[in-house]
Amino acid sequence: MNSLIWLPFLPLLGTLVPLLSAHLSRTACAFLTAALPALTLLLVLSHAGDIFQGERFHAVIPWIPAIGLDLAFRLDGLAMLFAILILGIGLLVILYARYYLSAKDSIGKFYAYLILFMFAMLGVVLSDNLIQLWFFWELTSISSFLLISFWGHKTEARKGARMALTVTGAGGLALLAGLLILGNTVGSFSLQDVLDNGDLIKASANYPIIVVLVLLGAFTKSAQFPFHFWLPNAMAAPTPVSAYLHSATMVKAGIFLMARFYPALADTNLWFLIVSLTGLITFLVGAYIALFQHDLKGLLANSTISHLGLITLLLGMGTDLAAVAAIFHIINHAIFKASLFMAAGIIDHESGSRDMRNLNGLWKYMPYTATLAMVASASMAGVPLMNGFLSKEMFFTETLHQASLGSLSWFIPVLATLGGVFAVAYSMRFIHDVFFNGEPINLPKTPHEPPRYMRVPVEILVAICLFVGIFPSLAVGDLLFAAANATLNGPAPDYSLAIWHGFNLPLVMSIIALIGGLLMYKNRAHLFKFQAQFPASDPKLVFESAIQWLTRQSQALIAWAENGSLQRYVFFVLAFAVVMTASSLLKLNTTAGQRPEIPLDALSITCAVLLCISALATVIWHRKRVVALITLSVVGLIVSLAFAKFSAPDLALTQLSVEVVTVILLILALFFLPQKTPKESSPRRIVRDLSLASLFGGIVGTISYALMTRPLDSISTFFTENSKTGGGGTNVVNVILVDFRGFDTLGEITVLGIAALGIYKLIARMRLFMPSADGNGLAWSEDRHPMLLKVISQSLLPLALLVSAYIFLRGHNMPGGGFIAGLVTSVAIIQQYIAHGVEWIKTRIKFDYQIMIGSGIGIATLSGLGSWVFGHTFLSSWFDYFYLPVIGKFELASAMIFDLGVFLTVVGATMLILANLGQLTTSERPTQQEHE
Amino acid sequence: MQHLSIFPVLIPLLFGVIMLLPPISRSIHSQRVASVVGCLFLLLSCAALLYQINNQGVQLYALGGWQAPFGIALIADKVSGLLVLLTAFLALAVILYAVAGQDKGGAYFHPLFMFQIMGINGAFLTGDLFNLFVFFEVLLIASYALLIHAGGKQKTQAALHYVILNLVGSSLFLFGLGILYGTLGTLNMADMAIKVGQLQGETATIAKTGALLLLVVFGLKAAMLPMHFWLPKTYSSASAPVAALFAIMTKVGVYSIFRVYTVIFGENAGELANIATPWLWPLALLTITIGSIGVFASPNLKTLSANLVIVSSGTLLACAAINSEAATSAALYYMVHSTLASAGLFLLADVIARQRGKAEDRFVRSRPFVQPKMIGFAFAIVALALVGMPPLSGFVGKIMILQATQSSTQTMWVWPLILVGSLSALVAFSRAGTTLFWRHNGSGSAEAEPAKPLEITSIGLLLLTTPLLVIFGGVISEFTQQAAFYLHDIQSSAYGLLPGVSP
Amino acid sequence: MLNITIIAVAICICIALILNLWRLLKGPTISDRILALDTMYINAIALILLYGIHARSSLYFEAAVLIAMLGFVSTAALCKYLLRGDIIE
Repeated sequence: MNSLIWLPFLPLLGTLVPLLSAHLSRTACAFLTAALPALTLLLVLSHAGDIFQGERFHAVIPWIPAIGLDLAFRLDGLAMLFAILILGIGLLVILYARYYLSAKDSIGKFYAYLILFMFAMLGVVLSDNLIQLWFFWELTSISSFLLISFWGHKTEARKGARMALTVTGAGGLALLAGLLILGNTVGSFSLQDVLDNGDLIKASANYPIIVVLVLLGAFTKSAQFPFHFWLPNAMAAPTPVSAYLHSATMVKAGIFLMARFYPALADTNLWFLIVSLTGLITFLVGAYIALFQHDLKGLLANSTISHLGLITLLLGMGTDLAAVAAIFHIINHAIFKASLFMAAGIIDHESGSRDMRNLNGLWKYMPYTATLAMVASASMAGVPLMNGFLSKEMFFTETLHQASLGSLSWFIPVLATLGGVFAVAYSMRFIHDVFFNGEPINLPKTPHEPPRYMRVPVEILVAICLFVGIFPSLAVGDLLFAAANATLNGPAPDYSLAIWHGFNLPLVMSIIALIGGLLMYKNRAHLFKFQAQFPASDPKLVFESAIQWLTRQSQALIAWAENGSLQRYVFFVLAFAVVMTASSLLKLNTTAGQRPEIPLDALSITCAVLLCISALATVIWHRKRVVALITLSVVGLIVSLAFAKFSAPDLALTQLSVEVVTVILLILALFFLPQKTPKESSPRRIVRDLSLASLFGGIVGTISYALMTRPLDSISTFFTENSKTGGGGTNVVNVILVDFRGFDTLGEITVLGIAALGIYKLIARMRLFMPSADGNGLAWSEDRHPMLLKVISQSLLPLALLVSAYIFLRGHNMPGGGFIAGLVTSVAIIQQYIAHGVEWIKTRIKFDYQIMIGSGIGIATLSGLGSWVFGHTFLSSWFDYFYLPVIGKFELASAMIFDLGVFLTVVGATMLILANLGQLTTSERPTQQEHE
Repeated sequence: MQHLSIFPVLIPLLFGVIMLLPPISRSIHSQRVASVVGCLFLLLSCAALLYQINNQGVQLYALGGWQAPFGIALIADKVSGLLVLLTAFLALAVILYAVAGQDKGGAYFHPLFMFQIMGINGAFLTGDLFNLFVFFEVLLIASYALLIHAGGKQKTQAALHYVILNLVGSSLFLFGLGILYGTLGTLNMADMAIKVGQLQGETATIAKTGALLLLVVFGLKAAMLPMHFWLPKTYSSASAPVAALFAIMTKVGVYSIFRVYTVIFGENAGELANIATPWLWPLALLTITIGSIGVFASPNLKTLSANLVIVSSGTLLACAAINSEAATSAALYYMVHSTLASAGLFLLADVIARQRGKAEDRFVRSRPFVQPKMIGFAFAIVALALVGMPPLSGFVGKIMILQATQSSTQTMWVWPLILVGSLSALVAFSRAGTTLFWRHNGSGSAEAEPAKPLEITSIGLLLLTTPLLVIFGGVISEFTQQAAFYLHDIQSSAYGLLPGVSP
Repeated sequence: MLNITIIAVAICICIALILNLWRLLKGPTISDRILALDTMYINAIALILLYGIHARSSLYFEAAVLIAMLGFVSTAALCKYLLRGDIIE
C-alpha cells in the first residue's frame, strides 16, 4: 500500500530534479530527470504479476472529509495500462527533448513542467476518489498550459495555450459539477463505491445531468467535436510536448474518464446517443480536416482528433467487446502517434520547416527516419502487420454489430469505412508528400539525419508497433485483458487478438479503406480545389475575437454601471435603504402607539416652527455658503434648546459646543471654496433627489414617530438604578459614558484622534488657492488682529478654563464631564488663535497636539488596564469617598482618570484639526502682503 | 489567561498610542520596529487566544465588570477567534511590505495602521451591536486616512467617494440601531437574539425595518450590489499595503451579516426569522455576476484584483443566503482563503507595476521584468488560488460552497454562477498572465528597482498560506464546521452567553 | 405672580426669536444676518434662564453662561471671516 502512495509522488519530487540539475550538462540533466520516472515505472511493473491475476490495489489516507476529498489511489488494469503509457512514453520524450530543444531554451524549466505534467497525469489515472481525480485533472490542464506556452514570446503559443486552458478549464468545471452530483447521488466520493453502484446512478433522476457534465469534461479534454478546435492550436508547443500530451497522454484523459466511469454511467440510451454520435462526428471531421492540412503537425493533430473520435465511438457503442477494442486502440494510437510526432519533430528540426508544400523528397536526405515514419504511418492507416490494423479491424467488426440506430444502423459501418478511407489518404499524404514527390522547396536548412540518440525513441516506438502488430497476444495480451476487466468492473468478454480472422466483412472494409484511400490521395488535387471554395476560418482568430467581443461588452457594461458619479452611488444606497424600510413599513397598520402624549405649549411650537424654517432655508440657500452656515447655526441652537427643555442638559451643552466647533471648521474651509457654487444639477436630477430625500425623510420620521409613541422596557432602567451604587456618580449620562459603556467611549475618542490625524495627513502637504478678495470683490481688511477682539478674547481664556475645569470635575455627578470640558477648552483656545494668529500663539502655547491625542487615548487605556492589577476586567471602575480638611468630603474615582483621557483627546484632536487648517495659509500670507 | 480576549484590541491600540508619543513618534525607523513588534505580539496573542478557545470553549469578557446585557461583552468564540487570527496574520504580512518603504508616503502611516487593526479586531470580537458600530467607526475613519496615504488627485477623489458613502452608511447604521433599541430595549446581541423571538405584531414590524436597514449598512461594507460601485476605484487607487489590508474590510461586512442574521435574526427569531434571506439571494447572485463581468473587463491588474474582491463578497453573501451550517463553514474557510490570496495579489500587483515602467500594471506590451521567475511564480500561485484551481486553497472553498447548497433550486442558481465566475477569472488571469509575462518589447532595462527582500518575504508569507490551507484542509474545515455549528446553535451562541437566562 | 411674569416674558422672547429669524432670512447683508444670529443666541440664553427660574434649578444658569461664551466665539469667528476671509492666520 505504501508503495502505491509513492507512485505519483515520486514524479512530484522529480520536478525538483531538473531545476536543481539545470546547471549540469544537458545530458546529465536529462538522465537525472529520467531517474525518478524510471523508478516509478519499475514500481508499476512490479505490480504487474498481481494485476494480471486480477488483483486490485488501494491506498487511502483521509484528507479533507468536508469536501469528500481523500488521498486515495488505486492500481488496477486500466490504471496500470495508462501508467505504463504515461511513464514509458514520458521517458522516451525526455530523451527526445534533450536533443530537440535548442541551447536557448531552458531545459531545466522544460523538464520540470514535463515532470509536473507526468505527476498530474499519473494522479488522474491512479485516483480512487472523485474529487482527487478532478484535482489532478485540473493540474493536467495547468501543466499543459505551461508546456504549450513554453515559447511564450510567440503569439501563437500564447493564444494556443490560452485557448487550450479555457476550453479544458471550462470542461473541468463542468466535470467538477458532474462529479459532485455523482458523489452526492451515490453518497460517497470513493471511486470504487461509484463503480459498484452503477444501477443506482442510472436509476437516479440526476443521471442525465451527471452524464452530460462528465462528458463535457471528457469531450473538452479529448478534443471531441465541437470542442476539437483547441488541439491543432496547441501545436504551438514544442514537438516533444505534442508527442507526449497531445497524442499519447493528456488528450487520452477524457477517454480514460469515459472508460473509468464506464460501469457507472454507460449502457443507457442517453450515453449511447451522446457518446457514439459525438465520436462518429469527431472521427469523420478530424479525418477530413487532416487531409487538407499543410502543416505536418496540423495533419497529425487532426488525425489525433479523428482517432480520439474513433475511440469515443467505440466506448459509446455499449458492448463489452467495443470497450475492449477501445482500450486496444488507446494503446496502439499512443504508440504510433507519439512516434509520428517525434518523426515530424525530427523533420522540422533538421530541415527548418513543417510545411508539406515545401517539404518534398526527404527520402534522399534522411532515409532512416523516413523508414521509421513510414512504418508508423502505415500503422496509422491500418495496414496489416501493424498494431493499428488490429484495433481498426476490431473497430470495423463492432460497427457491423450495431443496431442502436434501428433501420439506419448500416450508416455506422459505412461512415466508419469512409473515415478509414480518409485515414489512409492522409497517412499517404504524410509519407508521399514529405519523403517523395520531387525536390524540397526553399528549405531554411539542408535536411540531414538527426543525432543518433534523437532517433532512439522513435525506433523503440516503431519496434513496438511492429511487435504488437505481429505478436499481439504476446505483446499486450495480459495487459489488455487486465485493463478490460478493470474497465468493465467485471470479467471481460471473449475476444481474439489474432491477425487473421479469415476473409470476412471487416477485412473487406479494411481493403476498401486502403484502396479508397490510395485513390483519394491520387485525386487529391480535385478535393483540394473543392475545399478551397470554403472561406478559410482560423479557429484561433474566431476564438480570440469572441473573447475580445465579450471583453468589450463587459467593459461597456461596467463603464455604464460604474460611471464614477458619487451622486449616483449615494442614490443607490439610499434607494436601497428606502426599499428595505418601506417594504416592511407598508405592513404597519397603525403608526401611533399607546404611550400618552406630553401636552404641547406655545413655546415648543414656536421653536419647532423656527427649526423647520431655518432647516428649509439652509437647503434652499445651500449654494450661498455663508448664509447657509448662519441658518445652520440656528438649527443647532434650537436643537440644543430642545435638549435642555426635555431635561438633557449634558446633551444640550455637547450639541452646542460641537455646533460651534463645526461652524468654525466650516468657516476655515469656506475661505478656500468659491463663495457661491454654480447651479450644477439638471432639473431631472433635482426632482429625483428631492423625491428620494423626501421619501427617506418621511420614512425615518414615520419610524421615529412609531417608536416614540410606544412604551419601551429597556436596559436603561438598570443604568439609572445602578449609577450611584455601582458607578459612584449621580449623573447617569456620565456614568454610562465613562463606566457602563466606557469601552464605547474609548473607541469613540480613538475615532476622534484618528480623524484629527487623518485630516492633518490630508492637509499636511496641501497647497491651495487663496482668494485675495471676498465674494463681492471687496479687498480684505488690513487689520489682521483687531484690538478689541484681542482684549476680550484674552480675558475670556482664564474664565473659560476655569469653567471647563469646573465642568470636568463635577461631571460625574452633575451635567458635564471630560468631553464637554474638552470642547469648551478648545473653543477658548481657538478664540485665541482667531484673535491673535498662529505666530503669537506659537510662542506662548507649546503643546504638541499630537502628543496630547496620544497621551489622552493612552491615559484612558491605562486607567482601564489599572483594574487588571486588582484582578478585574478591563475598564472596571473604582471609587471611594475621602475627607480632607478645608476641602471637605470628596470622591475619587478611577473613572475620572478615564475622563481626563477623554478631555485630553478632545482638546488635542480639535486643536490639531483647527490649528492646522488655520496654518494652511500662514506660510503663504506674507508673500501676498508684499503684493499689496 | 483571563484577559486574552481583549488583547487583539488592546495591543494595536497601545502600539498606536505609543507611536504618537515621543520618542517613537520622532523617527520612522523606530515606528517601523514598533509596528513589526506590535504585529508579532498581536499574532502570538491571537494564536494563544484561538488555542484557548479551542480548549476551554467560548471566552466571555465583560468590560468594566458589568455583566451582559447591561455592559459591553467581548465574545471570543471560534468564529471571531479565527477571524482575529486572520487579521493578525494579514497585518504582519502587510506591515512587512510597508516597512520596505511604502510607509513613507505621508504622515502617521504606522499609528493609523494599528488603529485600523484595532477597529477590525474589535468588530470581530464584540458581542454588542452598538459597540460594533463604534468599531466600525474606528476602522472606517482609519481607512479614510490610510486611503489618502501616498496621495495624489486620483487617490483623494476615490477616497472622497469612499468617505461620503460610508458616512451615509454610518448614519443608516445609527438609524437601524436606534430602531432596534427602540423595539428590543437592549444592545447585547445574545440578549437581542432572545428578545427578538418574543416580538409580535407591530413591534416586530418596526424592528424589521431596523434589521433590514442594517443589511444596507453591512451590504455597503461588503460591496453587495447595488452598493459595490465604490470598490474597484477605491481599492485600485489605494497604495499597495493599504489595498492589501482592505482585503479584509469587505469581510467585516460579511461577518456582520453572518453574526446578525444568523444569531439575532436567524432560525429562532419568531416573526422575524431569516428576514435577510429573501433579499440576500438575488443580491448575492447579482454581485457575483457583476463582479465576474468586472473581472473580465478589467484593463489592469489592480482593477482585476478589486473585482475579484467583489466576486468573493458575492460568493460569501451567497453562503449567507443559503443560511445553513455547511454554508457558514464554507464561508469561513473561503473568507480566510480569499482574504490572504487577494491581499497577496494586491501586493504583487504593486511589485509588477513598479517593474514595468510606464505600462505599470496595465495589460499591454511592456519591457521585461527584472525578476521574471520569482514574480511569475508568485503570480501563478495567486492566480490559481483565486481562480479556484487545484492544488491551491481556492478549490477547497469552492467545493465546500457548492456542497453546501441544499435544494435543487439553490443548486441551479449557485453552481452555474460560481463555476462560470471561476471560468471568467480563469480566462482573465490567463490573458493577464500571458500578456504581463511574455509580451515584451526590447530587452530588460536596469532602471526598475528589484523587489526588496522584505517585500518578497511579505508576499511569500501570504502565498505560503494557500497550499497550507489545502494540506491542513482537514483540520481547518473541521474547525470551521464547529464554528458554524456554534453560530447556528442559539443555545450556545445566545443563551450560553447570558448567565442566568435559559429558554 | 412669578408664573404670569414667566409666561409674559416667554411670549416676548418668542416674538423676538421670530423677528430675529425674519431678519436673518431677509438680510440683506451678511452683517445683518450675523447680528440676527447673535441676538438669537441672546434670546436663547434668556429662554434658558427663564426655564431655570421656572424649574427652580440653578443648573441652567451654568448652561446659560456656556451658551453665552460659545455664542460669542461663533459670532466672532463669523465676523473675522467677513473681515479677513481667513479666520486663523
